[in-house]
Amino acid sequence: MTKRQHQSVPISRRAWIRRAGCGFGAIGAAGLLQSEGLLEQTLAADGKLGNRALNPLAAQPPHFDAKATRVIWIYINGGPSHVDTWDYKPALEKLNGKSIKEFDPKFKDTTGFFKNQVGGLMKSPFKFTPRGECGKMVSEIFPKMGEHVDKMAFIHSGFAESNNHSPALFMMNTGRPQMGYPCVGSWVMHGLGSESQNLPGFVVMSDPKGRGLPKGHAANWGAAFLPGAYQGTHLRPKGVAIDNLVRPGHMDDADQRRQIDFVQQLNKQFQTKHPAEAELAARMESFELAYRMQTAAPEALDIDSEPKHIHELYGMNNDRCKHFSRQCLIARRLVERDVRFVQIYSGGMENQRSWDGHQDIKGNHTQFAGETDQPVAALLADLEQRGLLKETLIVWCGEFGRLPIAQTGKKPGRDHNPHCFSAWMAGGGIKGGVTYGESDDVGYKAEVDRVHIHDLHATILHSLGLNHTRLTYMYNGLRIRLTGVADDGKVLTKILA
Amino acid sequence: MKAANKIAAILLCVLPAAAFADDPAKVAPDHAERMKQGLKVFTEHVRPLLVEHCLDCHGGKQIKADFNLATRDALMESGMIDDDAESSHMLSLINHTEEPHMPAKAKKLPDDAIAHIAKWIDLGAPYDKPLRENAAEKKSTDEITAVERDFWSLRPLAITAPPRVKNGSWGRTPVDRFIQAQLETHSIDANPIANRRTLIRRAYFDLIGLPPTPEKVDQFVADKDPRAYEKLIDQLLKSEHYGERWARHWMDVARFAESFGYEQDYDRKHAYHYRDFLIKALNRDMPYDQFVTWQIAGDEVAPDDSLAMMATGFLGAGAFPTQLTEKEFESSRYEELDDMLRTTVQSFLGLTIGCARCHSHKYDPIPSKDYYRLASAFTTAIRAEVELQIDGAEKKTKVQVTSEGFPHMKHHADGRGFPHFYKQTFFLKRGDVNQKEEVAEPGYLQVLMRPDRDESHWRVEPPKDWTRTSFRRASLANWLTDSEQGAGHLAARVVVNRVWQHHFGRGIVATPNDFGFQGARPTHPKLLDWLATDLIHSGWRLKRLHKLIMMSAVYMQTTTSDETRSKVDPVNDLHWRRAPRRLEAEAIRDSMLAVSGLLDKKMYGPGTLSESMRRRSVYFFIKRSKLIPTMMLFDWPEHLVSIGRRSNTTIAPQTLLMMNNAQTRQYAEGAAKRLADTAPDKTVKKTYRLMFGRDPSENEMTSAVEFLRQQTESYGKSKKPNKESLALADFCQALMNSNEFVFVD
Repeated sequence: MTKRQHQSVPISRRAWIRRAGCGFGAIGAAGLLQSEGLLEQTLAADGKLGNRALNPLAAQPPHFDAKATRVIWIYINGGPSHVDTWDYKPALEKLNGKSIKEFDPKFKDTTGFFKNQVGGLMKSPFKFTPRGECGKMVSEIFPKMGEHVDKMAFIHSGFAESNNHSPALFMMNTGRPQMGYPCVGSWVMHGLGSESQNLPGFVVMSDPKGRGLPKGHAANWGAAFLPGAYQGTHLRPKGVAIDNLVRPGHMDDADQRRQIDFVQQLNKQFQTKHPAEAELAARMESFELAYRMQTAAPEALDIDSEPKHIHELYGMNNDRCKHFSRQCLIARRLVERDVRFVQIYSGGMENQRSWDGHQDIKGNHTQFAGETDQPVAALLADLEQRGLLKETLIVWCGEFGRLPIAQTGKKPGRDHNPHCFSAWMAGGGIKGGVTYGESDDVGYKAEVDRVHIHDLHATILHSLGLNHTRLTYMYNGLRIRLTGVADDGKVLTKILA
Repeated sequence: MKAANKIAAILLCVLPAAAFADDPAKVAPDHAERMKQGLKVFTEHVRPLLVEHCLDCHGGKQIKADFNLATRDALMESGMIDDDAESSHMLSLINHTEEPHMPAKAKKLPDDAIAHIAKWIDLGAPYDKPLRENAAEKKSTDEITAVERDFWSLRPLAITAPPRVKNGSWGRTPVDRFIQAQLETHSIDANPIANRRTLIRRAYFDLIGLPPTPEKVDQFVADKDPRAYEKLIDQLLKSEHYGERWARHWMDVARFAESFGYEQDYDRKHAYHYRDFLIKALNRDMPYDQFVTWQIAGDEVAPDDSLAMMATGFLGAGAFPTQLTEKEFESSRYEELDDMLRTTVQSFLGLTIGCARCHSHKYDPIPSKDYYRLASAFTTAIRAEVELQIDGAEKKTKVQVTSEGFPHMKHHADGRGFPHFYKQTFFLKRGDVNQKEEVAEPGYLQVLMRPDRDESHWRVEPPKDWTRTSFRRASLANWLTDSEQGAGHLAARVVVNRVWQHHFGRGIVATPNDFGFQGARPTHPKLLDWLATDLIHSGWRLKRLHKLIMMSAVYMQTTTSDETRSKVDPVNDLHWRRAPRRLEAEAIRDSMLAVSGLLDKKMYGPGTLSESMRRRSVYFFIKRSKLIPTMMLFDWPEHLVSIGRRSNTTIAPQTLLMMNNAQTRQYAEGAAKRLADTAPDKTVKKTYRLMFGRDPSENEMTSAVEFLRQQTESYGKSKKPNKESLALADFCQALMNSNEFVFVD
């Protein structure tokens, strides 16, 4: 009975109560803080991030003890085909070329995005072989990731609500198909804050090969109505990765330090005239933090300092994947430096620019799997050898799956399938080598143990020690959470270690 | 409520002791004894407490938040009660360890009362009989009760005279008497009036969002006219910059942006006219009821006035998907109606209505029926682009409007046959477009209609021969602004509160977009009603309201704080002091531009995405996928939903921007160019006066001169050309970065 299991999770009540006292965003209530003596505490906490009302990014204890403290989400942008990657469907070989209506008379031609290109069922162009101790059947496009199946928990029964990229992307990232809700990373920042003092807590990397941004752009990593500080920091794919990190050209370090010291002197005088204003102290602290970030952030992104064997492990010497190798390596360096949430998008916008294989599914998925297989496998191996994997949750997932039928054309592709997708998780708190849920025989619909996106989100939050029903934010009169309303969202306890 | 809690709660009905929860067949051996004790606690202590503090909202007159404690069955079913008091959600709410704190909007229960309730829960929470006869019976969800109509924000405006106060020397306006009366009940005084240097800076930032020049400060400080301050307010209210400053506040509320959002995020190149409307309307002090009416139905009530047409950009400013499949056509249209409706009701009435789309509102008296009837006013309203003559210009300009009967704006899915609107709006079961019920005819929120009126009362008939639009929106606006029989009294409360909030940092109601049950209660309800009444009686003129507020001692007082008074009122609800405030994104950038001498004061017209723009920040083009990074760092909204009050965060990336950004540096260099003088002390003095509106102290002078010397010396050593001007720019930038620059006293 999963529900009882859920209930038996030891909730650190004291941790929760502590959190509840200051867990609601960044609206500074200086007077209140003053009365509680928290101002002094903050000032005394030299080097610590201090209190949340002064610093919205201050680290917060989780609702209950958990294994994972960080997340790396490999976002498979465009919608990967589950039947060509992780969800092996031998029945498709037998039914190859037959109409899907023979399998499901209720099939409607409008399920996909294109109406007039509906072909018959199509077997995967890829060979599947059993991998790892668990014997998971894996597509030949993932030779290296296949080595790590015993670390992964597969979900084969995910389903989405929209057959269109941007609402589906929003759903996967924010739990709502509309624009304007905070994404998972922002919710996690709201719940846990940042443990890094010198780096952004939530970092996003997008396609650096000029293939565009995911549909819906920055709204996919936006904080919406949560404080702006919780939005993802998007590393610029080319040029300087983070804005404003480089001091004006005429200054050296000492020149700037003198300038900051001078500002702080002004600020101190101003503060003596305004002893009650806690915000002033927070802003003074932010100068020191900013100063440190100037060196810390470039250092974190400096993958050239990594040894050759690490470069080779991630595939930096392979032209097809080296851009993604770089991003995976940066992700590792970031989580190593206590960055809370990293999301990397594989692929740019739609069609052949991402996993959106409307045409030539074989070519498309060969390409994008080739770009990611070695880097992701290396990330898993590297995190493990550093002992970081047990604290880092890895998520592999896109916005929906693809239809088991062909999208007709010169080279057959596959159209969007909102009824079924596959995902896997690994690392912090996840049981390896297991599979949750099943799709039907051809992979058209999620059938057994169906997993709503709210369930996926609830599970991600749970592995970070956050109860998804309690991670809420009061916005315009409504208490909003990531996982919908009322009884929405269940934690997939079977895939937890 | 969490499912697991629910299960635990159901088990608990049989078994009070947690230890036995694993085996439902066993009954705790002390069960009977515990029940007996529990009943004693209940009848002696708990029942009266629940009846007095909880029952009205939870099972008596109403059932808020789906939580009913009128009977034990209902209480246990609710999931609020767990194995014992400590793990029960209800207790966490009443002892204020979790939100929402209960009893709502009332004082925390005394400790001994909480202890009784805790003990009773530990003993299994027994009842002798329901708290109320026929308690389980639930009223029809569509029916609005007299109690609901009497909720503080929904009831008619109270007619009150400003109260009498004991100390007559502090107050200057009737507003102050309301403030002072409340201070007197707590036996504390407010602060005296601030000095003129402080007042002029405060007034400038509040009304026009720019700092006063040193000359203006000198003039004002030296002005012997006792009416000098009043003259200053009048001048600022006449400034065209006033409209720019206050239009920006409205743009937050109106979730105004100039692109579609979603997939392609196409630009809406002619949407900027809505911003121009806001600036012009505010500058000419358009009566607020007209301001509202034009935004909803300017195309119907004044179709020949280009400004009225521009105003309708309001409704169509929301995000809307551009890539649609056939399956999504109709549901997207309902989403769009929802956006128009939600934004309208939230902006003008401060009510959240979105949840009534799927079910009758859990907290506020808004049945689902009312939602669809209101939404139907927008049934045929679409975004269109029309050519208009603006301000008598010969050449026509393309303007994005929201209207009916015009050709729709181009859409990506036109090729697939996207219809843009449907002829009728239906009641939808659970908000699902596949579960249509009957057609929804236009109607309004019942709770804001006098019980003896029906919707026909507000019906506005179109002129003869008018067929292009339905006049449903004109009728809606008529109801919205009718302060006698319709929703106008609430609209007045809401706008007064918005104006108050921008003058004080916090509204009389702290939740400007939520005047419902979940929102905050007014700190000064009588003052709010008095101001709302005054607004209506004086023809809905906002400038008069600004002046009334700003001429009051409560506005003019100093920021001085002290321990004694902060103990009495730590969050300054009573306004015993003025709270200093950090400037918002626009005011920070605009101030830097102003002192740099680089500000381009060109008004109106299309904006730009370029950060090197020198115009005021209100003229940034708002593209949903490319929100201006500088603005975003300082809590700019995402412009997707109505925002009544921005966050105010302090984060390191803001400081990095102030230190390292090329624009910031250019502003500093601009200022340095204006300020360079023959001797360092002269330069320092001029810089202080420009940046802070005051002279430097002796100490400040010494350290500033020393800083200039050190920087110059260093740049000399590293052989930089123009070492003096680099050092001076460093100095200007330091002042711009300082707290004194970005905080207003």
